[in-house]
Formats: sequence, structure tokens, C-alpha cells
Amino acid sequence: MFRSLVVPRAAARSAFKQNSLPKVVTPSAIARLSKRSYATEAEEKDLVIIGGGVAGYVAAIKAAQEGLKVTCIEKRGTLGGTCLNVGCIPSKALLNNSHLYHQILHDTKNRGIEVGDVKLNLAQLMKSKDTAVTGLTKGVEFLFKKNNVEYIKGEASFASEHEIQVNLNEGGERTVAGKNIIIATGSEATPFPGLEVDEKRIITSTGALALEKIPESMVVVGGGIIGLEMGSVWSRLGTKVTVVEFLGQIGGPGMDTEVSKAAQKVLKKQGIDFKLSTKVLGGDTSGDKIKLDVEAAKGGKKETLDADVVLVAIGRRPYTAGLGLEKIGLDTDERGRLVIDSEYRTKLPHIRVIGDCTFGPMLAHKAEEEAVAAVEYIKKGYGHVNYGAIPSVMYTHPEVAWVGQNEQEVKASGVKYKIGSFPFSANSRAKTNLDTEGFVKIITDAETDRILGVHIIGPGAGEMIAEGTLAIEYGASSEDIGRTSHAHPTLSEAFKEAAMSCYSSAIHF
Amino acid sequence: MVSLAPACRLSARLTVRQLRRDATVRGFRASAKCLAAHNFTMPALSPTMTEGNIASWNVKEGDSFAAGDVLLEIETDKASMDVEAQDDGIMAKITQGDGSKGIKVGTRIGVIAEPGDDLNSLEVPAEDIPAKSPTKVEAPEPAPSTPSQAPKPFRSPKKQTYPLLPSVQHLLHEHGLDQSAIDKITPTGPNNRLLKGDVLAYLGSVSSTYPTELSARISKLSHLDLSNIKLALPPAPKATKQAEAASEPVVEDLEIAVPVSMKAVIEVQKRIQSTLGVFMPLSTFIARATDVANDSLPRSKSYKPTADELFNQVLGLDGAASTNGYRGSFLPQITALPELTPALNPSLVPSKKADIIDILTGNAKPSKPSFSAKPSAGISTAVNVFSVKAPKGDEKRAEVFLERVKAVLESEPGRLVL
Ligand SMILES: Cc1cc2nc3c(=O)[nH]c(=O)nc-3n(C[C@H](O)[C@H](O)[C@H](O)COP(=O)(O)OP(=O)(O)OC[C@H]3O[C@@H](n4cnc5c(N)ncnc54)[C@H](O)[C@@H]3O)c2cc1C
Repeated sequence: MFRSLVVPRAAARSAFKQNSLPKVVTPSAIARLSKRSYATEAEEKDLVIIGGGVAGYVAAIKAAQEGLKVTCIEKRGTLGGTCLNVGCIPSKALLNNSHLYHQILHDTKNRGIEVGDVKLNLAQLMKSKDTAVTGLTKGVEFLFKKNNVEYIKGEASFASEHEIQVNLNEGGERTVAGKNIIIATGSEATPFPGLEVDEKRIITSTGALALEKIPESMVVVGGGIIGLEMGSVWSRLGTKVTVVEFLGQIGGPGMDTEVSKAAQKVLKKQGIDFKLSTKVLGGDTSGDKIKLDVEAAKGGKKETLDADVVLVAIGRRPYTAGLGLEKIGLDTDERGRLVIDSEYRTKLPHIRVIGDCTFGPMLAHKAEEEAVAAVEYIKKGYGHVNYGAIPSVMYTHPEVAWVGQNEQEVKASGVKYKIGSFPFSANSRAKTNLDTEGFVKIITDAETDRILGVHIIGPGAGEMIAEGTLAIEYGASSEDIGRTSHAHPTLSEAFKEAAMSCYSSAIHF
Repeated sequence: MVSLAPACRLSARLTVRQLRRDATVRGFRASAKCLAAHNFTMPALSPTMTEGNIASWNVKEGDSFAAGDVLLEIETDKASMDVEAQDDGIMAKITQGDGSKGIKVGTRIGVIAEPGDDLNSLEVPAEDIPAKSPTKVEAPEPAPSTPSQAPKPFRSPKKQTYPLLPSVQHLLHEHGLDQSAIDKITPTGPNNRLLKGDVLAYLGSVSSTYPTELSARISKLSHLDLSNIKLALPPAPKATKQAEAASEPVVEDLEIAVPVSMKAVIEVQKRIQSTLGVFMPLSTFIARATDVANDSLPRSKSYKPTADELFNQVLGLDGAASTNGYRGSFLPQITALPELTPALNPSLVPSKKADIIDILTGNAKPSKPSFSAKPSAGISTAVNVFSVKAPKGDEKRAEVFLERVKAVLESEPGRLVL
């Protein structure tokens, strides 16, 4: 068909004449002409996915690659969900650039680099973040096209067990039907009762990614990963940041206590204040400054904190509003998570759920693993995610990363364990980089030397944790790592030495 | 022997895939029962190959082979090709001998064992029934993967097919253990990997059951904890309509039609005949109109664009690039519509069985076409319905095409003569 484009016209025409005289058909054929048949409205797809976040878009592409006919419905207007639009990606853009700024202000002079007037252009900082976001969301859209995934922009709700009604963003409605359906509607910030979010003064992480000016002071309610990351960004840009955390440690319950303490110390040195074991009672937004009443979690001392901006970062909850779950009788648990079995099936087995809106850690790479597994269950009847080997990373400086069990958990499980750790202050690369905060901590089973958990705080921890994840995935012992060559001089040598100090002893410490 | 060099490369690649698939299957079953050998099935040497003949085997039962050795030669109706071994192994059994004909892809033709396997004690796997179609959506229910599926306390030793972990290798050397000892150690790692703890248990430095217990504990962590789910209080359940909308079957080919009046064409035809003395049949006009109308149509929706084109589309840069359109290959089917009411143009009604002579002698005035009128065969000098079948995704192209045919035939048929 395309070849004829380059064939000279005359030639094309004569070729055409020989074999393509019009056919004359019998009258019976005409009966069909009256009903000009187009594809019916509710065309049935092999798989319809609700939500174009990491869980949804990965499932869509994977399923299309497996030969299924796929539709993905997303209401946001762009693909990539929380992660690409208002989560992982924009937060890391701001973290990276605010770190650069902070370093230029405070850390270049003693390295022999004198920088003149350093000015912050917040609008440009935001623009560069937006460029990263747009590039990536468009990239996903491109992958949809490339893999022939139908992308419908609109809000989906169940009309029946197999049919989904879409309220189109551009107006109008459409119904799509799916043999299989995946719900991947993600999560939203958990609101704090008594603090009404306006995303200007009382903000969630979404507002914190788009402030128009640098606030003088900010109180972060919740010292989990998101709170600490966003707190770090604004603290580096000049805001006085105070973190109020109900628990006795920062970083959330998954973070190893020893690591958490070290992280708190470093962040404190960077200028962030912490109030742990402290409860927020309520706030008053009527004045120029927001007044936040807090008290010690165990009761007692009350206090009022002033802030220009309050960031509510007490966690995220599954988002299933407007889906019409009640119409088809799907269950959620008391925390709003859609109930599934080990193959991600709801009680209607053709409907599966993955990502933040169901059980497990709310992490993009967890959502991605589940997306692939769910599609494999649909297509091949078998899929697998190893929840024991999903890493977590906090992208502050230094970074914190871990995989497997932390020391509190291992202790509680009653297993006899050994710990090998190695500080970056004894690592040659960290020393040359003048960036020596932190350590690597490896927890092994005392009897068999099998690695149970890896915890790192330090430069590049987020990259280094991949080795720990691989080790756990393969059931490795600390000796297996200690006997594997690591390049010199690199930060990863600290990983090897921590392993060596588990089963024998470190050479350089 | 090397009949088609590229095909050989192809066959080798396919073998890799097959062996890998077999390996995964083994992996799945391994926790239940250890298979010591696996089936070697008729490979698909091309995407369209469904069956093949075995020309000859190059190995005998019991022969060891190395990766890259030619195991057998397969013939299809198109070519004959060598099948190479991807991994080292032993040909434990040949189930389809030289000269076997018409063996379906996926059917077992032999059994392969790992290098070093003892063929006498080998467990020959059951023959896998070749899957009907690789796209099964309703997959067999796999065993529920609950934590209770954790490894059983005593598993039998399993042959280690991967490189041993450095810690394991070190312990073995340190304690002078050889291959026969390795085969006796119970592995507790993922996919039956032999771990340091397993060797320690074998040596007696840790309790013999401890590694298994630890593995069970770790394997429990590798699953989502879906026990003790506390349901949210259900809102009063509403009666749900079960009625499943009977969705109409997917229409693959669509028929698109437009009525076209031949009046102008016939006028031109007459003028040519009277001025030039040349008779041009109607079919020529239509053929030429078809040719013109097929030029630069909008692109088929089912056309697979290149990565560059897609990227430009996402970035909105495609507008400028492809204004040329894409040539089509539509061929209209033509059905004559009879005149509506003979009373209106009594003299012009073509007889029921209109033939080309009738058409050429007529000078019908077109009347409004009506789909309810009874159609007749042949080309009418008045109104004809031109229709084309378009695959899904091509409807737009088909419409544009027909509109052009109509425009050319009705308003500028003279163009077709030049
Ligand atoms: C500030 C921040 C930083 C983060 N940083 C990290 C990080 O560094 N690393 C990490 O692993 N994770 C991070 N996360 C978490 C990560 O973003 C989530 O785990 C991930 O986005 C979950 O993906 P998902 O597809 O399940 O849900 P989502 O990404 O939330 O996607 C769900 C999508 O479904 C759409 N949707 C919902 N309902 C409907 C409907 N009815 N119809 C149509 N569409 C609908 C929503 O619009 C949304 O786009 C971060 C989160 C935040 C908020």
C-alpha cells in the first residue's frame, strides 16, 4: 500500500486497471447497507484498568505486550498517577535541586569553589520540576500509543460487574466493558481532623510541591518519609521547619530505630526541629500565622506552635471514592483498603486490585510489581511478588534506605541475630567526597548467616540498597557478599565491609 | 547439514526460549516434587510453523551433548533446519525417531536430563499436553499461595544447577566435600538454592531442621498478610442489577455505502461518443474515479506508527509532518437502485434485469435515492449505491474514499477522461 506512493502515477494506474474493475453485486447485498454498522458502544475489552498511576499504567502496558486488548481510564488528565504528577518524581526534582542550592550556599567554599551571589529563583525551580513531570507523563502516554493501549480520559464507575461507565473529561459519557478489570485507583493524603486543607496555608504534599513563595515557618505534622522529604526541601530553601511526630521515632515504623536516630541527628544539624511523641490537638487559621496546639502524646505539657504553613503528612489512605463499589458489592477493610486474595482478586474473581488502594506498603515499585503479577495471573495463571524484598528509600541528605526486617522486628521474632555495620567515615570514597555521614548495617541470622535485613543511612543509600535487595531475594549470607568483589574506591565497599564484619571482621575499621 | 544459516540461528533462539520455559515449569513444581529431567518438545522454527517432520537425530539416547551441538534436523514444508542445544545435557530418551512425520509443535519428541544425571534413576516426566492456544485467559487455578505453602520440613536434596554461592563453595572446599556430598544436602533457599546454612546443617554445626524453619519464616514475610482482615461496616447493600448487557458482537469488517448518481457521467460519455466517436464504458469511469479517490486517504487507525511518529504525536509535532496522507486500495461494490416511482419518469425505468446495454442507452434523470426501494442488479444509469468493506479502524478512510468517488462522478467526470 505504501509502496505505491513512490510508483509513478501512470504505472500505478495501469497496474490498477488490470485487476480492479468494479464488481457488480447482487441486490441481496444491499439489505445490509441500511444498517451502517459501527463498533458497538460497549465494546468488550480483555482488560479494563481504572487508574493510570504506576499500578495502572504498568499493568496496561504489560497486558498489551501479552496480547490483551486493553483500555486504561484515568481522570487526572495526565498519566502516571500520584507518583509522576504529585509524588515521587516532583518531590525528587525539588529535593535534588534544593540540595544543590544548599550545597552551593554552605558546602562549596571549603572545597575550594567560591561562588558569587547565589540567588534562588523559586519560579524557575518549580518550572524545572514541571518539565521533569511533563516529560515523564508524556513518556507514559507515548508508551500507551506504542503498545496500543486505549487511553480514556475520564472518571470511571462501575455500572455492573463487567461494565464501567466513564464520565469523560471532555464531556459526555461512555461505557466500556471488560472480561477482566483491574482497580488501581491509588491513594490520597489522609486529612487531619480539624485542619482543613486549602493547599495554600494548610497543605498536603501536593501543596508542598507547588508553594509560590518560601514560607518563613512551617510545621510538618507527621515525621514519616513524605513529611521529612518535603520538610527538607523547604528547610534547605530557608524555611524554619518543625516536625511534630506522634510516635517516638521519625521515618515511620519500618525504619530501623538506630538508623532513625542517626537520621534525626543529621536533619537536626541541618536545621529541622523535632517534637517526637507529640500530639497535634487542633489549629486556628484565623490570624496571620496559623496557631497549632500540641501536647505530649502521653498527656501533659501543652504548647502552641506558630507557622505560616502547616503540612499535613500523617499518611495516605486508599482512594476509591466515586467508583461505585457498593453497586457491585466489593468489600473494603476498616482502613478503606479493597479486600483481595493472594492473587489480587476481589470476591468477583474477574476484578483485581493492585497498588496503593489495597494491602501492602504504599510504594510505586510495589505497585509496579503487583501490576506485572496481576497481569500474569490473568494471562498465565501464575504471578509472584516477594513482599519480603521490597526496598524503602527516603531521599533526604543523607539518604536512608532499607530492605527486609529491621532490628526491632528481628528481636521481636525471637530469632538470634548478628549485626555487622560499617561507617562511611571509614570509607575511602565517602572521605574523598567529604560526605561521611551514616553507616551500613546488616542483620543476619546468627546460626546460618542468612541476611535478614539491610539498613543504610548515607550518601547514595537509595542506589546501594539494590545490592541488599538482591541478596535477600537470593537468600544470600553475609559471607556471600563479603566474598564478592566491590570496586575501589566506591561507597559500596562500605556495604561489603559491613557484611564482612557480620561473619568475620571488617578490614578497614 | 547447514541448510539455512539464518534459520539455524532462529532455531537456536527458539530452543533457548523453550528450555527456559521448561526450566520455569520445573521451578514451580520443584517445591512439590523434584523433576530430574524435562521434556524436549517440537520447537516452532517460525511463527507460522504448526508441525514438522524429524529428518534425523544427531544424538542417540544416552549421549551427552554440549551447548551448541546440533541435536536433530527438522523439516517443514518450507525448509529443513538444525536444532541446536542451548545448554549442556544428556539425551535421556528419544520418543519420536528419525523420519517421524507431522509432529505438532509442542509435542514431546524426547527427554533431556542435566549433565551428570544418572539415567537409570531418572524420573521421566509425564508428557505435557501441548497448550491449545497460548492466549488462555482463563488460567487453571493455581494452588492458593498462602503462607501454609512454606517449604515442608524435609525436602529431598535437589540437584544444584546454578553456580554455587561463594560461601557454599568455600565451606565445601574447607571441609573437603565433593559432588556426591552436595547432592545429599537439602537446600532451603529460594528456588531450591543451596545456602550457607544448609551446608552448616549438613556439617552438624547448626541443627539439621533450623534452616528449613528459618526459610519458612522468611517465606511467610514474602507474602502479603491477608489474615484477620477487618471489613469496613458495609453500607446497606442495594439490590444490584445482575442483568448483563448483551453486548453486540464485535464487528470486524464494516460496510460503508453512499448513493452516487451517474447522470453526469452519462452526459460526458455521450459527449465523448458524439465528438470523438470513442465509447468509454461506465466501468472505466468508475475505475478511474476509484483510482483518484484512493489517493492520499487519511491513515488507517489500525496502522502501526513508528516510535518516532508516536513520539511526535505525543509532543504534538505530528501536524506538520504527515499531511500527505496514505494511499488506499479500496474497491467499491456497486448496486443499482431502481427508480422510485415509475409514474414520475415512465420512460426511463430500466427493466428489472438491467444489463449494460440498458444502462448505456438510458439517459435517466436521477431521482432521490431511497434505501427502502427494491434494489436491482447491475449499474443503473440513475443512482447506484457504492459500498466498500472496511476493516475496523479504517471506517474514516472508507468514508473519505466514497465521498471522493461520489464527488468525482457526480460533479467532474470530465476529469476522468483526460
Ligand atoms: C509526595 C509523595 C512522594 C512519594 N515518593 C515516593 C517515592 O519516592 N518512592 C515510592 O516508591 N513511592 C513514593 N510515593 C508513593 C507513590 O506515589 C505511590 O505508591 C504510587 O503512586 C501508587 O501508585 P498507584 O498506581 O497505586 O496509585 P496512584 O499513583 O495514586 O494512581 C491512581 C490514579 O487513579 C486515578 N483514579 C482514581 N479514581 C479514578 C476513577 N474513578 N476513574 C479514573 N481514574 C481514577 C487517579 O487520578 C490517579 O491518577 C510518594 C507519594 C507522595 C504523595
